[in-house]
Amino acid sequence: MTADALVMEHMMNPKNYGKMEDSDAVGMGKNPENGEKVAIYLKVKEEEDPFIEEISFQAIGCSTTIVAGSLITTEAKGIHFSRAEELVSATLGLLDTQSPEDAACTEMVALALKASLDTYLEKQKDKDFPMISYHIKTDCTPNEENPDAKTV
Amino acid sequence: MRRTQMQKLFKEIHEAWLATQFTGFMSQTQSRQELYEFSNILFKHLTWIENDFVKQNIKYTYDINQVPIRVDKLLTMIHDIVRRMELIESELDACKDESITFRMRSDLDYMKSALEKIADEEVSSAFNMKKEFPDIELSDEAKDALTLFLFEESYKEYELIMVYNYSKANSTDAFLNRIFQILIDESFFHLRSFGQMMAQMGILGVPRSLMEEIYKFDDLEQFLKDGIQEEIGAKEECKKLADAVSSSSEHFASFFNFINNQENYHIALMEEALAHINKR
Repeated sequence: MTADALVMEHMMNPKNYGKMEDSDAVGMGKNPENGEKVAIYLKVKEEEDPFIEEISFQAIGCSTTIVAGSLITTEAKGIHFSRAEELVSATLGLLDTQSPEDAACTEMVALALKASLDTYLEKQKDKDFPMISYHIKTDCTPNEENPDAKTV
Repeated sequence: MRRTQMQKLFKEIHEAWLATQFTGFMSQTQSRQELYEFSNILFKHLTWIENDFVKQNIKYTYDINQVPIRVDKLLTMIHDIVRRMELIESELDACKDESITFRMRSDLDYMKSALEKIADEEVSSAFNMKKEFPDIELSDEAKDALTLFLFEESYKEYELIMVYNYSKANSTDAFLNRIFQILIDESFFHLRSFGQMMAQMGILGVPRSLMEEIYKFDDLEQFLKDGIQEEIGAKEECKKLADAVSSSSEHFASFFNFINNQENYHIALMEEALAHINKR
């Protein structure tokens, strides 16, 4: 499958999309500039290194956010928190290789995953701990030299 | 308990409406029109149950599960729609308004019998991701721009239908409700235009479900102001697309100019609604 076909597949049929009613934790990634946001819901199996049994996401955002959410949640399903933290770091480390718009969307999803992990850990100490939200740092304004950069 | 059962019924109707509407996009025969009409009826059912929620002051959401539609044969979807209708019938008792459930049962009965007569069609081309139009040569750049536009805008039109529908259901202001209804009708027209194009390009997909805060907003004035800005942005996108495809297809270029000009009407309606709010 080519990258283009892979992107199309996630656009047409985003994986793990939707609200999880019985989630153990929810985290949010937000773009304060334009109000776009991603919520990630987790169902967790309690272990020394907690295990992500189920994951889903919802977004107010563009198609790139949906593709990033679909890809990242697919990667995060069925792994331990320590591995999920690595996934967040690796994803954030790749932002420089993307266009500003794509990087902003990807960062928002990665931060939503990070927020959901952190919310879960805090809720283990205090079950009423509220949902954590993280704001992205990437400016999603298109590069001047490439104002029409597309995400497909 | 009652709320949960009503919400389940509401969700099933919502999903059946989308399944029927998007199956209509796949069809290349007369069946399309019949599926469009049945999707209209299901949408009407959705508004009946919604009005019952509002009348009884019961909280509700537009949450749905994803609606899978990738099939090779139209009849696979037709059987799925009939199954969904049977599920709705089995849950109708959740609504205690017998005048509503009587009408719904009658509609569902008729639709199921009519669906059984629909002929099969090969529809796998609606999902082949070729991003090509029959007899029209598009550059790779134009194909990508059009693909992104159709994904973004088909979701946007679905979102607008639901946002204005929610606003209409929860407002008693006749002036605003007239505007909301026009905007719903306009978005249906656009959704259908874009859905048909997506099926032709092999990229058909049902829009994702909406986050609650999209339609349950506190500030209508701000929503309308933001909506006007979005329409202006959509106009720009249409203009860019018309330019990008003009060398390949005069038909497409004129279609996007037509959509672009329709956005002016939406902006005028939203400005009218804003003026009305500010006058109150």
